[in-house]
Amino acid sequence: MVALFHNAGEAPRLRIVRQLPLFATLSRRELRVVDSLLHERRYLKGEIVFDAGEHGQALYVIVAGRVLICRQGEPDTGRIAELDAGVVFGELALLDNAPRAAQARAAEDCVLASLSRADFESLLDTHAIAASKIALQLARQLGRQLREQNAARPEG
Amino acid sequence: MTSNADDDGSSRYVSTGPFVWVATLAVTTLLLVLLKQALWLVVPFLVAVVVYYALFPPVHRLMLAGVPRSTAASLVAGAFVVVALLALVPAVSWTAAHAVSGQEAFYRYLDAGRVLIDKTLAMLEARFGFLERMHFHEQVGRRMAEFGETNLQKQLTAALLGAAAWLPSLLLAPFFAFFFLRDGQRFLKFLGAAVPNAYFERTLYMLERFDTTARAYFHGLLKLTAIDTVCMSVGLWVIGVPGAAVLGLATAVLSWVPVVGPIVGGILVILVTATDFPDQPQLVYAAIALLAAMRLLDDFVFLPLTVGRSLRMHPLPTVLLIFVGGAVAGVPGLILALPLAGLVMVIAGTIGGILDDPRLRARHAFAKRLRAERITADLGAND
Repeated sequence: MVALFHNAGEAPRLRIVRQLPLFATLSRRELRVVDSLLHERRYLKGEIVFDAGEHGQALYVIVAGRVLICRQGEPDTGRIAELDAGVVFGELALLDNAPRAAQARAAEDCVLASLSRADFESLLDTHAIAASKIALQLARQLGRQLREQNAARPEG
Repeated sequence: MTSNADDDGSSRYVSTGPFVWVATLAVTTLLLVLLKQALWLVVPFLVAVVVYYALFPPVHRLMLAGVPRSTAASLVAGAFVVVALLALVPAVSWTAAHAVSGQEAFYRYLDAGRVLIDKTLAMLEARFGFLERMHFHEQVGRRMAEFGETNLQKQLTAALLGAAAWLPSLLLAPFFAFFFLRDGQRFLKFLGAAVPNAYFERTLYMLERFDTTARAYFHGLLKLTAIDTVCMSVGLWVIGVPGAAVLGLATAVLSWVPVVGPIVGGILVILVTATDFPDQPQLVYAAIALLAAMRLLDDFVFLPLTVGRSLRMHPLPTVLLIFVGGAVAGVPGLILALPLAGLVMVIAGTIGGILDDPRLRARHAFAKRLRAERITADLGAND
């Protein structure tokens, strides 16, 4: 309970959050606001973060560890991507209200930072500049993923 | 906070079957019984929630202007306390100065009410012969006199002493409201951290619905009070009753208590009108007609458009809950039953949704097994 009202130990955590590409362009004050909205979750290797078909309530940023994105229930044969620290996932469900397109599992023990849909919408209302910086970073990541998929697609 | 959670299909995560209804009724009743034992804390808490939702829009505006949440909460709560003190100091000194004349006025209003009933009964006896043969006027008059002598003073003294005992605990309300405004977000985060990974997103959904429901209810209540005050004040002003605005506000605030509140508010308006216009019973009847019209407007137009929308409850359990609340916890139970039921329904619905979802429970069991294996990994090494 003491930790609930305790602010002194946040500086090292803020440094970690600043290193995440999604929040790299935020000012110190914006970073503090966003950090107050992030939920830290810890997953063991093999644990499921979310299933395909679920209605997503949050996006996740990998703070430490790796996350496997795969077809539902096929971690070995249905691999789609393996994501490293700093990468955002689960953002599509948040942007277009669609169900989760794939399953996410912890490929190794990992720490995730989660931003809920309600908090992201609230951020758009109360701190529009910070929210637009995050949205721009999300758009850049989506564009990069699209280019990579196009490049990987066999020609013809 | 904008929310489209119900439009995106995630509302299917909330169960609405008979289990949820029975659980909502049972848990709300149990909570009302428990809350009755701690009313000294519950009432300031409830007032603090109303103050929180009333003060949140200015805090939100300051945050939009770039002011940090804690600073915005301190500024708005500080301004509220200053305004409340500025309003309270003259009110307290006025009340102290007019306490004796206020008591006289109270008995004058009661007398006027008795005269009005006398006149109405006499008129009814003159119109209907069977009432005269029953000595209806005389009997009712005797019963009223007996009741007034034995009960009224006792009840009034008890009510005044009760109100005086409540006042110190009400000072907690602004204190609570300030911390809700400043640390609400941190508390939600703290709550989220206690939830297992498998249920994390469902909990986020529940917390959002919880906040949306409570916000809509209390905003609805404040809107309803404003609408009732304006309509009642205008109506009384048109009739010509003095102090129309004060009476309008009093009846609107009393309407927060279902069933009993509107009756008390109505009696207040009738007594004031009967006292100020003793020879014009038609004005009293006009006030009664206004009260009846306001009741109909409230129940069928204003209430469904403001408070009713927030809870999305069927009228049958709504009425049932109001009566259960009154039976187990008296007047506070009448006030608390509906908002409490709305919030219990959100939690019961979410838990029902989780219990209905074997996949979620399996994921949680799997995560527990992984943790147990990790913890006990080295324990078999010496076997």
